Amino acid sequence: MSAPNSNQRKACWGVRDELWKCLDDNQDNASSCDKFQKEFEASCPAQWVKHFTKRRDFLKYKDKMQTEGFELADGPKESRS
Amino acid sequence: MLCLERRMLGLVGFIGGDLHATSGRLLRCTVRSSAVQQSSGSTHHPQRVWLSSQAPLCGHHTPKHRTGLYGPFTHPQQTLGSSRGPLSLFTQRVTLSQGPNTSTAKIRLRTRLVVTLLFGGGLLGTWWYVRNEKQQNHRMQRIEQLKKVALGQGDFSLLDHRGHRRTKRDFLGSWVLLYFGFTHCPDICPEELDKVSAVVSTLDKDRSLPAVQPLFVTVDPERDNVAALERYVKDFHPRLIGLTGTPEEVKVAGKDYRVYASPGPKDEDGDYIVDHTILIYLVNPDGLFLDYYNRMKDDVQIAESIRNHMKSYVKL
Repeated sequence: MSAPNSNQRKACWGVRDELWKCLDDNQDNASSCDKFQKEFEASCPAQWVKHFTKRRDFLKYKDKMQTEGFELADGPKESRS
Repeated sequence: MLCLERRMLGLVGFIGGDLHATSGRLLRCTVRSSAVQQSSGSTHHPQRVWLSSQAPLCGHHTPKHRTGLYGPFTHPQQTLGSSRGPLSLFTQRVTLSQGPNTSTAKIRLRTRLVVTLLFGGGLLGTWWYVRNEKQQNHRMQRIEQLKKVALGQGDFSLLDHRGHRRTKRDFLGSWVLLYFGFTHCPDICPEELDKVSAVVSTLDKDRSLPAVQPLFVTVDPERDNVAALERYVKDFHPRLIGLTGTPEEVKVAGKDYRVYASPGPKDEDGDYIVDHTILIYLVNPDGLFLDYYNRMKDDVQIAESIRNHMKSYVKL
């Protein structure tokens, strides 16, 4: 299977952006964006679908950290003998 | 530097003090005594010591003194008789003009202005020169540091996207922008290669700069053969050369630049993503690794950095 060329890449990215916009508008309600999800999976190689889905999760997580803050986990506790 | 400044200021002040002497004997006296006061502060300064030798003269004014511009200074007999020192001779030479008093005043003013301007210009020039030296030092330091890291010292032997064998030696004599990636890359490699293309196009516009050679080396030799590379590179800058080879050859090239590359798990299509270092490397015409650019640098910044490297390279 050969790699996507420039046009195919751009098409994939376009559909991905539409999907992400839909998810943003619907508060990540996957069911309302089902149509886009299907288009996305059709336009992009499976590996890329996985990659971009993970990327979106990461970006959301990063946003959450930056806006809501986070608690530092307790480090490993040393036992003093 | 500070000591020199004080001496020069002393000289300027001394000359200035003479100008004020036109107002009258009393003022002359006051000025000279104030010069003495100045000198008492720092007796280790030779000029100030001379000034202090003027002090007794205050009381030695006779009616015979012309109230010319500089009083006793314009009478050679008087001045030679006193223990002024070379400084007074200097001012005396300057003031002994045959012309009327006002023109000598103008000449004195002009001389002082010239001296001050020259001195000021000298100071500025020195500061500017020192600053440039410092910047050059910084640049050399960074190059030394990167040399110590010693990336890209080895030789690589790969096939380009037309099937011709290319080694590192083939690229000596040109500036090289090197990027490691793979054709199945979802978004990062195309973005970085677009950036490289933009940088090369920007630098191409400047005719005074040498042409930069962009190179794309694959980290996925299993899939990225010559044909795959040929399809891939034509979407970017026309001068972009794709390089591939056997897994061994590619590994050698990657190791040379300490490139991390790790193929991910294969899915049911046999597709996989290769996790790898995302850096653009700058190599100079001697084959020396000079600089690197990460995702945070945009094409404008990279072009600027390369321009600076090129300029300092020529200077060396």
